[in-house]
Amino acid sequence: MNLPFNRRSFLRGMLSGTAVCVGLPILDRFLNFNGSAFADGTKLPVRFGTYFWGLGLTDTPTGGTRWVPSKTGHGYEIMPELESLKPVKDKVSVFSGFRAIGDGRANLVHWSGHASILSGIAPAASGRFDGPSFDTKIADAIGGATRFKVIDIDASMSRQPISYSTRTGNGFATPETTPLALYTRLFGAGFQDPNSDDWKPDPSIMLRQSVLSAVKDQRQALMAGVGKEDQIKLDQYFTSVRDMENQLEVQLQKPERCETCVVPGAPKEMPRSASVDTVRANTSAMAKLLGMGLACNQTRVFNFVHTSGTSETYLAGQSKIYHQITHDEPTDAKLGYQPETSKLAGLVMQAFGDFLVELEAIKEGEKTLLDNSLVFAFSDTGYAKIHSIENIPMFLAGGAAGRHKAGQHIHTTGESVTRVSLTAMRLVGAPVGEFGSASMTTARPITEVIA
Amino acid sequence: MKRHLIATVVIAISIALPGSVTSQQPSKSGKWTKTWVVEWNEPAMYYGAKSGVIDPGSDCPAGTNPEIDWVKVLVDAGYTLEEAKWLRNPANPTRSPLHGQNQMAFRGKDRANVYVNPTSTPDPGLVGVSGTIGEGINLDGDEKNGFTSPTGEKGIDNTFYKTCGCWKTYRGPHRLSSGALQFNDSMRNGAWTTVIVVSGEGRDPMNDDRVKVGFYVSNDKMVKDGNGNIAWDYTFRITPHARYEGILPARTVNGRIVSAAPADIMLRDPGYTRDLELLRARVDLQMKTDGSLTGYVGGYRPWEPVYKGWVNARGTVIEVLTWVQLPAVYYALRRNADFSPTGPGGEKTHISFALRVDAIPAFVMIPDASKEVASVESYKQIAPKETTRAAAGTYMVVDGIVPDRTGKYQAGPNAVILPPKSSNN
Repeated sequence: MNLPFNRRSFLRGMLSGTAVCVGLPILDRFLNFNGSAFADGTKLPVRFGTYFWGLGLTDTPTGGTRWVPSKTGHGYEIMPELESLKPVKDKVSVFSGFRAIGDGRANLVHWSGHASILSGIAPAASGRFDGPSFDTKIADAIGGATRFKVIDIDASMSRQPISYSTRTGNGFATPETTPLALYTRLFGAGFQDPNSDDWKPDPSIMLRQSVLSAVKDQRQALMAGVGKEDQIKLDQYFTSVRDMENQLEVQLQKPERCETCVVPGAPKEMPRSASVDTVRANTSAMAKLLGMGLACNQTRVFNFVHTSGTSETYLAGQSKIYHQITHDEPTDAKLGYQPETSKLAGLVMQAFGDFLVELEAIKEGEKTLLDNSLVFAFSDTGYAKIHSIENIPMFLAGGAAGRHKAGQHIHTTGESVTRVSLTAMRLVGAPVGEFGSASMTTARPITEVIA
Repeated sequence: MKRHLIATVVIAISIALPGSVTSQQPSKSGKWTKTWVVEWNEPAMYYGAKSGVIDPGSDCPAGTNPEIDWVKVLVDAGYTLEEAKWLRNPANPTRSPLHGQNQMAFRGKDRANVYVNPTSTPDPGLVGVSGTIGEGINLDGDEKNGFTSPTGEKGIDNTFYKTCGCWKTYRGPHRLSSGALQFNDSMRNGAWTTVIVVSGEGRDPMNDDRVKVGFYVSNDKMVKDGNGNIAWDYTFRITPHARYEGILPARTVNGRIVSAAPADIMLRDPGYTRDLELLRARVDLQMKTDGSLTGYVGGYRPWEPVYKGWVNARGTVIEVLTWVQLPAVYYALRRNADFSPTGPGGEKTHISFALRVDAIPAFVMIPDASKEVASVESYKQIAPKETTRAAAGTYMVVDGIVPDRTGKYQAGPNAVILPPKSSNN
């Protein structure tokens, strides 16, 4: 079929007298032969996600480490706690030696580290950030053309839902906490199977879209009649209205067929338990669903929490949870590290490896979903025993559609974690020149990993 | 940055002349002044093993006190084995942390809260130090009692070490015990700053009979260098504080600063107690050739606030993380207390203690930052009155536990221990 549009085209139509348009998913016909770029050579849009796990990886105060490779640059060696990354090692960059810098603000345990990475600001209090998390900037930049601007997922089986994504610093996103909930969100009501022959626009969506359009039509008159402060408020309001309109427009158009999109079956509810194996299984199941949600173009941005900063996970049969073990286990004099803590850290990273393998398993042309994605994985702490915010482990995984020169180990001595955050933003094309505040202000991405 | 600029201007003096007179602001009361910022402090705990952090050694021949079998403790306290196992099983959704974990507090007679009423349970026992070597200061001048220092000095008074030196929190080589790592990491990341000012009347700072040592709070935070170490030669303003201040008369002998007479002082404690009140305090500090300062400040501290500090840090969490039964700490501190403020016949409410201090050169300004401090004097009279102290954490600790205000099952003497498996608290 010879379609009369290109990747920049919108599907246009009229609805209740109002023109509607919607961006298109990435069709094979838009791509070059190996699927690494559009046919005109332009780089592919990427998917972006954060992946968080609690309690860091294993260091010791005397300098031992179970995760920092000794070799920098390409070809770093696989350290014991990174064993699970072996299958995708060449698509993962390791960042070590970076730290959160408080500028005198106290280290808020299990909070300052990831708050600094995500907001660029050392937080003043636990439970809130002092600015938005940067994933929202990326969602604004690349998430507007899909049904969901962002999907937030919490696989931790914690008692309370965990999310570290925030636009205000005060309220955090409400994540999906079970595979079934995630499935329902992605593939339940409102989902339009791109490969279905029986597609009809949803009347309820048409009604909502029409109502919003009516509001939009009156915007100019309303804006002209209010003061500056109210104009700002109205502008914020209409911006959110536009976001919703865009999402509804997407749902009012029949999506193009998508070879890689295979609608999965509904998962069964899993027993709620924070045992390591259950959380790992939950992570894997939700990663599989997320991967297909990305492939089916339901979203391009996600935030995934494997375990919280104060991880409640435990090994089945043990009376102590992982968090407790990081604090109470002495460093083994002969080994030079905490053996049980390191074992658990390895299991946590196994779940991250599973996650990446799920993305790697989905083909897009000759590449994979992981090749066309960037996953920024990080923790809340370095040496968890003392809640250190130095040497916080961070990883950038995936090819970012050819922009990430992956497979490297980047090591610094005490530079700000925000450099890695800025690098992630630049890799996925978010228009950010500078990130962070005070000593964590940086305009220097890590150019070694940017193609 | 103003502070850094100041440091840059005068840095050459302290680097070029380590250990010599560095007073930049002569005053009527001081011929010389030297200043430091404390970059590490920890209870002085001599580690008698050759390696590791818990290994058997001359201090603790059986090694660090071992991890506790909490199921047995609970059974001994009257819980059934089934109840005890249920309370210790993290797979139980109602166990952790607010119901099941809190229930561990209620193991006294008639299930009293042992943190509030430690004597409601028999003394579980806390194995103390049995070695003869200890660090600290001879507080009472009697060489016949106390430890012998690693350098052979007799009469070292540090009964706190004797009591708690085999407890995992405190035991370990210099700068490696878990408690020291935890609290110094917090201090170095901005939780508090202590500066030391030493001034003298003589011409030779290394040998001067008329010396004063001052410990002050500064609200200026320490700065880390690129390697994560505290940067030298930064500038700090003294923050007048109504409680945290210590001034001690001293003398120097070959660069060693020793007390000339005892003094009562209050410092910021690198521990959950926060207040380190020291009666009859003394110092023994060495000015090193590289410009740094290391040594001890010791005295008799009230022991009960130490116990309560641990309780209020969430007793149940402290017990499982640090391998201790807090009632055992209570009994041991009470048993070993060795000083009464009211005289030899009074109740021994205090225990001898020493804080090991490592400090690096810094520039210290008077409170209004108009000039460098030129002498040791008190600023308490200009300190603002203290208001109610804010809670240290984000949770409310009551009687050693964090009550679950919304939970269906509440810990307590009459708690339901085995709710139905289908319950979802």
